[in-house]
Parts: sequence; C-alpha cells; structure tokens
Amino acid sequence: MTQPLLSIDDLHKSYGSEEVLEGVGLEMDKGDVTVLIGPSGSGKSTLLRCVNRLTEINSGRIALDGQDVTGADTDVNELRKQVGMVFQDFNLFAHLTALENVTLGPKKVLGMDGADAEEAGRTHLEQVGLLEQADSYPAELSGGQKQRVGIARALAMDPELLLFDEPTSALDPELVGEVVEVMRDLAAEGITMLVVSHEMDFARSAASDIVFLDDGEIVEHGPPEQLFQNPTADRTEQFLSRLHAHEETA
Amino acid sequence: MAAILLQTADWLFVVDNLGLLLGGAAVTIALTAASILLGFAVGFPAGAVEVYGSDRARRLVEQVGVALRGTPLLVIIMILYFGLSISSSAFVTAVIALGLRSAAYQSQIFRGALQSVDDGQLEAARAVAMSRFEAIRHVVVPQALRRSVPGFQNEFTIVLKDTSIAIVIGIGELLTTGQNLYEGGQSTAALEIFLVVSLVYFVLTFATNRSLDRLSNYYAVPEGTT
Repeated sequence: MTQPLLSIDDLHKSYGSEEVLEGVGLEMDKGDVTVLIGPSGSGKSTLLRCVNRLTEINSGRIALDGQDVTGADTDVNELRKQVGMVFQDFNLFAHLTALENVTLGPKKVLGMDGADAEEAGRTHLEQVGLLEQADSYPAELSGGQKQRVGIARALAMDPELLLFDEPTSALDPELVGEVVEVMRDLAAEGITMLVVSHEMDFARSAASDIVFLDDGEIVEHGPPEQLFQNPTADRTEQFLSRLHAHEETA
Repeated sequence: MAAILLQTADWLFVVDNLGLLLGGAAVTIALTAASILLGFAVGFPAGAVEVYGSDRARRLVEQVGVALRGTPLLVIIMILYFGLSISSSAFVTAVIALGLRSAAYQSQIFRGALQSVDDGQLEAARAVAMSRFEAIRHVVVPQALRRSVPGFQNEFTIVLKDTSIAIVIGIGELLTTGQNLYEGGQSTAALEIFLVVSLVYFVLTFATNRSLDRLSNYYAVPEGTT
C-alpha cells in the first residue's frame, strides 16, 4: 500500500474562542487535485494555510510523505520547500521583475547558481505563457498575468504539493480563464494540487476530489461527478444551488 | 539694492578668505557624512527592532529614542562634551551627538517604511521557504529603503545644517570659520561673510538632495498593486 502524500488528521484550529476547524481529516495521493469548496468563513483558507504552517494548528496531525510536520522540531523552511503556495492577492515581490520573482527562492533558498536559476525561471515563465513579460515589474502586469507569475514562482521551487488559496477571486471575470487554463495544464501534468476555489469550471474538469467544508468540518467528500450530481448532505445541496444561482446571474 | 550691496560691501575680504571658508566647509561635510553614517548604522537596526523585535527590545529602543528626540541637540552636545567628557576630541563628540540624535530620527523613518510594506510580501517570501530574516532582508528591506528616501533627504538636510551647532565646542566647521573671520576684528564684513556661509550650506543641501533624487530614480520600480 502506498503512503498518501498528504494526510491530515483531526485538525483543530481556533482563533480565540472561535473554533475555525473542528476536527478535519483529509488525505491526498500524489497527483491528486483536491478542490475545497464551502461558504465564506467555513475554514477553507485556514485549512490550506495550516498545511504549510503559515497558520499554526491547535491540535491534530498533518503528515507529508508520512512525516509529521506539525511538531515544534519540524523545520518549517524544509516543509515549505516541499509545499508551494499561490495567494489570492498574488503577493508578488513588488521590487523584482517577473523573472526575479521566480528566481529569488531558488537562488536564496535552494542555493542555485544565478544562471541556472534564470534558465529554469524562464522555463517556468514559459510554462505559464509569460516568457515575454520576464522583465516586467508586477505593477506593469494584469491581474491574470500576476497570478500566473505567482504560479511560476511556486513551481520554481519544484514542490511536491501546490496550495492555491482562491487564486482567481481577486481577478476581473475576463482574466479568470487564463489562470484556470494554466492550473488545468498543471493538473494534467500530474502536479499534486490542493485548491480553495469556487471556480466550477476548474473543479468539474480538473479535480479528482471535491471537499465541501462548512462550519469548520468536512461535510462531504467525493469525486466531482458524485458530489456535484448527487450530493448526499442537505448542506452540500443548498450550498451548490446557491453557487449555481450565482453563476447563472454572473 | 543689490547693486549698492555689491559696490559698497567688503566682498574682497570674503574672496581673500574663501580658502579658509572652504576649509570649514570640508569639516562640515566630514561631520555630516560621519554623523549620517552613524545615524544610519544605529537608526536602521533600531527601526527594524521597533517593527520586528521582541517586546522588551522594542520598548528599550523606543524609550531611548523618545529621550534623544526630546532633548535639544545643543544640550546633548554639552552633556557629552562638558558633562561626560566622552572623548577629548571635539570632532568625535560632535559626531556621536549628531549621529545618535539622527539615529533617533532615522529609526522612525525606517520604522514607518518597514511597516508600510504589505504583510503579504513577508508571507509570500516565507512561503518560498525563506527564513524570517531572509524574507525581511531580501523582500521587505529593499522596498522599505526605496520608500525611505524622501524622509532620509529631510534628515540629511537637517543634520548638515545642525553641524553648525558644533561651534559651541570649538570645531572649525563652516560657521565657526565664518565667525572667526568676523570676530577676529580683521573685517566688519559680517553680512558678506554670513551670506557666503549660508550660500555654501545651500549648495551642499541642494547638491545632496539632487544626488539622492537621482539615486532614488535609478532604483525606482513601477508602483501599483502586486
């Protein structure tokens, strides 16, 4: 039996007296694309941020390749070399060009030689269709381009798992497509992705699993066709119909 | 008016002693450079401690800063020179006084600049596995330094002009040189001397501000959302 790449067990997280995650469990195998959906405030982003420890958990266990990564003795920087992240607000390094954004981690963290990092960086920019923008600064790029640089920056670290925190939520509707397309390509290449998103196009076409999170717990978990066509829980059904109604009007 | 001033005044005396005045200007430049450097060397880390330091370190730095900013420079110089006699060299004492006072102000320039960089920048740097120190050093500081330039220009100008206070401990800087020429009884050309002195201060502040503008433009990056 192969070990899951990511295994989350009985995860609890509170902010003060407010419990955001109430015993969440989740497993992902290599190559899985898991999409987390759920109402705002349901704990999706918190769950994601616990995986690379941008947020510290209260109790539970997160293991990557079978190794517990939640302990005080875990080297968070070693963990983050394995787990890349793409942010809702892009957070590109404002003072660096697109190429420099992509190469900073490999140079400073992985100790790559400048020329090697640049060559690899150009490959990653090409992968997201932005080779021509290599020398542009973030402020000179559109939202969709920024997010694609954000994806290239995460890919450049060659992580085992990529986290996406609502990668298209800050984009104008007409720019969502280009980012979804890149994400779909990555999924097709077998990159393991844990994605918080309500982008139904992506969820239907690229996800291997959908997880519906509500009030800090996983309500339902299954392959997209099952969860979207035949949700078993009332809460899932209600959420999906609201989402659907929203898509119709959008 | 200007014509009368030029005809009647004792400009020749100033021209004859221009070498002395420029010598004083050189001391002013040396005082300024040393004080600004000391101010940066102490003020930048102090500003960083105020943003990123532990509670205890932050409180300590804040309190020292408040004391330094709340004391007139003239008093600081007199305490250090006559009160504590920290150095037999008036120059060294003046540099320490000007430098520490400047550090207290520069720390606030850099504190504000560091705080103005969006938290997402630090978070994104941590997410590509940089340590907190590396993230601050490679991502936050370069952006903060760019934003510090206008405040730093002000501080530079203030320090340059305030070097004139070193006259009270007898340093032969620009103002002292001018004062000596006038008080030596060799001339009554007070207005001429002090006009030239202020012109030299102006040229120095103007030139350094322009140089910092150029530096800032050279390193400028397009602004906007990231």
